[in-house]
Order: sequence, then structure tokens, then C-alpha cells
Amino acid sequence: MKQMKLFLGPQHPGMHGNASVHLYVDGDIIKKSFLLPGMLHRGFEKGMERHSWINNISLIPRVCVVEPDINEMAFAMGVEKLLGLEVPERAHWIRMIILELARLSIHLMAYGGLGGPTGNYTLMYHAHADRNSILDIFEQITGHRVYHQYIVAGGVRKDLPKGIEKDIHAFLDSLEARYEEYRDLGIENPSIVARITDTIMLPEAVVWELGVTGIGMRSAVGKAYDIRKVMPYARYDQVEFEVPTSTYSDARSRIDIKLKELVQSIGIIRQCLAKMPEGPVRVPMGRGQSMRWTVPKGYVYSPVESSRGEFGYYIVSNGGTNPWRVGVRGASYPQGLLGVEKYLPGTRLDDAALWIDTMGVCSPEIDR
Amino acid sequence: MMNSMSNVEFLKELMNRNFKVIETDVIDKYQVSFVLKQADILQALVTLRNAGWIQMSYLSAIDWPDESKIEMIYIFMNWERPVHVQIRSKIDRKDPVMPSIINIYPGAKYYERECHEFFGVKFPGNPDYEKQLILEMWDDIPPLRKDFDPQAYSDRKFTKREYKEDYLVLSDQNSKKEKREVRKERAESLKGGQKV
Repeated sequence: MKQMKLFLGPQHPGMHGNASVHLYVDGDIIKKSFLLPGMLHRGFEKGMERHSWINNISLIPRVCVVEPDINEMAFAMGVEKLLGLEVPERAHWIRMIILELARLSIHLMAYGGLGGPTGNYTLMYHAHADRNSILDIFEQITGHRVYHQYIVAGGVRKDLPKGIEKDIHAFLDSLEARYEEYRDLGIENPSIVARITDTIMLPEAVVWELGVTGIGMRSAVGKAYDIRKVMPYARYDQVEFEVPTSTYSDARSRIDIKLKELVQSIGIIRQCLAKMPEGPVRVPMGRGQSMRWTVPKGYVYSPVESSRGEFGYYIVSNGGTNPWRVGVRGASYPQGLLGVEKYLPGTRLDDAALWIDTMGVCSPEIDR
Repeated sequence: MMNSMSNVEFLKELMNRNFKVIETDVIDKYQVSFVLKQADILQALVTLRNAGWIQMSYLSAIDWPDESKIEMIYIFMNWERPVHVQIRSKIDRKDPVMPSIINIYPGAKYYERECHEFFGVKFPGNPDYEKQLILEMWDDIPPLRKDFDPQAYSDRKFTKREYKEDYLVLSDQNSKKEKREVRKERAESLKGGQKV
């Protein structure tokens, strides 16, 4: 039969962000596919070289739109490693609260995104409504809803507002109460289960070939390969949490892990709020005028566990007031580009959007 | 996984035994970097892969126009012995050629394509490193090289538009134009300039 070319995205309910997947299909089966990135390229790596260390705070969160905080954390950690800067104790705990709230928010968004390709829009509305409550909390803490610019080298921008603990606890309780409902709406829902079970498989050998990290890797390998566990940053070594895994990676098990991580994140935030000490939250990065702050020479890679896998900044300084080179390792680079090219052919047309959703392909961080 | 410092020691010993390491830098107990000669790179990656560093985390380049070099950077990760290894090597800037590593780490395919696009490094061995990936119809020098000037490119490429400087000013009395200019001048005077 004759092959036909179809585009998945940029505008498509199952395609997040501004990239498109080109598919050559024969009937229902994908014969050839590749991702076309570049529609959201904003030249951030070049832009960061042209701004001072402190100016870059406003560029960094925009690298990944839906989860900006990991960018701030990775950049701040890298600069602190170069400077040899010790962050105040309280700042570590506040950072963890922010990072885990961000993880909750993007997991809810990705889980809601499952509604697009499977046609279950109720799920999407519920999940986005709950994400909105997280954005409200962010607004109280940082003053911004989406791009917070809150975690900076040397700590966090300012202390938590008074009484925010009450709001966070109230939100966590309500989310926990709705957890079973979420399961029923999504992965326990009979109309979806048949659709997501045994589709878009990811065998263990493929994981290492692609270099996939995060939920994709853990769902196939079955080991707790999480940067928070194996090389803890901030104070992740002082909180108790589990890393959910599986050894059979289909769309359903990946979503299942995502939901189990929600519970773990809720636990981490509660522990942080209980253990958090009082004290200062920020030390200045340098002395004198902030535009003149310099960072010693060096090469450093600072990885952070994002919701999609290992997310890292590669920072090179030549001792000047600007970074010499900032490279971004997008967590969804392997599954978004090579994964789409190599492992979509052979699957069905309607499963392509499921790969994009359950592997968490985020086009802003591929383009940068 | 328990004794992290010994992982770094293990790597140091492994690299020094097999290769002539130009420079070693231990960043912390989870990260170490080695500078090697270009000829040693492929062999070093095979050694690392056999030792368990099976995940490729990052591949990119750094431009050093003063030395007329481009520095290649590879980062690998082993989850059983959690250490990120940086392998770096400086190659010629005039005609940068680096053999492709996709036979050792297949995941490098798109990283190499991107590196070619942004730095102009050639990767013989990678079947389509020359295809465009992110930049559509690019017709200038690779943009992440230091001598690429975004301002000049933008002036050449796009029509110039006139912006009113004082678009915020409602009346002369409330004008903060002077203040803004003083501030701008001061910021300009502080900009750039390498401080040692």
C-alpha cells in the first residue's frame, strides 16, 4: 500500500509544546518517523553567555516551560560548586519544598495530558484544577505563578511567607484525599486500561541504547536509579522516601509510577515542613556590586532529578563576569529525538501521542 | 554504592593506567573530569563503557578562540558506581573533525548533529550529522562560536524597526528618561571585562 505522510503536532491534543512528529504511515502502522524540533529555539545558550551570572536568573526558568524550578536548581548548584559556596541550612529545605511542589505540578499536568490522546477530558480538567492550586501556593511564596526565579546561587530569594505551611498542608491533604479518585479516573478506568496496557513498550536494552533516564528508565530496569537517591543533593539524604520502579515498561506502568511518585513527593514536603530549621535563607554570591560578581575558572556539570529524568547544566567559567559556556542537558533529549526515530516505527499511529505523553517529551528543553 | 570516594579513585586509577591523562580534576565525590589527547578519546570511551559507564549524559563543545581550539566534552554516568565522568579534549578550530562515537554510544547521534550545527564540528561516522536539526536554513557561521555576533546577524536578516525611546513617558514632568540613561550608562560601564 502507498505510504502517507502525517504530522503529529505542533497543534494536537496529545502533543505538548511546539514540536511536530513527522510520521510516514501505511494504513495504521507507522513506517518511519522523526521529530522536527526548532520551532521554539530561542538561543538561550548563546543568550546566557551574553548576560552576567546574576542576570541569567531570568533566562534560566524559560528553558523548560512546564517545570522551571529544576533549571534554577541545576544552575544554582553548578555555580555554587564553582564558587565553593555553602548554602544556609534553611535554604536547602525550602528548595526541596519548591522542587517537590514542582514535581507534583508537572506530574499532575502530564497525567492530565493523558486525557488528550485517550479522549478522557474529565481527567485533564481535574488534574489542571489541582495544578492551579499549586500555582497559587507558588504565587504566595515567590510572587510568580509559572517562572518563579526563586532559587538563586547562594540560597533562595526570600524566606517563606508566614502561614504558608497551613496552605501547603491543606493542599497536600486534599490531593491525598483525591488520590484514589485520580487512579479511578485514569489508569484504573476500564475505558483507558485496554488502551494503555501493553502499548509503547520500552525494553531494558533499549533504555541503555537511547540513554533514557528518569521514569522511563526506572520502569524498565526495576532499580531505584534516581539522582535524589544515588547522589543526593540539597537534603534528600535526610528525608525518607521510596523510588517506585517496575520491570515491565508499557504506557500503563509508566503512568502508574508517576502516580506513586505523587505520594512520595507529598511525604517529602511534609517531612521538609516538619524538619525545616529557622535561620537565614541566602548568602550573597560575591562581594560588592552584583553586576561585577565573578565566578572562578572551572568546568562543572550539575545534575538534578527532574520529573522526566536526569536534567543537567554544564557550566564553564573563565573567571569573568559572564559564563563562558552554559550547556543544557534536556532530560527528554534521548526519548524525544532518537526514541521517536528508532522506536515509533512498527507501532500504531494513535500510540505515537502516548509515547510523547508517557515518556514526557518536552520540546522547549530540546530546542532551548 | 556505599563508598563514593573510592569510585573516584577507581576511575583515576583506570584512566591513568591506560592513558596519558593531561589533567585530572575531582569536582566532588560524585564527579571527576579528565583531559585527554584527541587520539585517545575513542579508546577511553570504550574502556569507560566496559567499566560500566553505560549511560551517555551529555556531549557538546566549548569554543576557545584565543587558543584557536574547540574543546569537546563528553559526560558519562554509571548508576551502580554513581560518578559523572567528564572527558574533555581540545581539537583544532580551523577544521574541527572528531570521529563519531555512535558505535560506542548510539544515543550520541542527535547530540553530534546538534554539535555540528552549533559549533561546526564534523563527525565522520555519523550518517547524517550534516542534516539540519534546530536551525532552519542557517546561512552564517555556527552560532555558538564566540565570533558570531547576534546583533549583526539580526541587523542583516531582519528589517529595522523604529522604536520610540520614551514610550512609557506620559508627560515631561514624570519623565524618568534621564534617570534611566544614567543607570544604563553605569550598567554599560560595568559590563563584560574579564576580572582575574
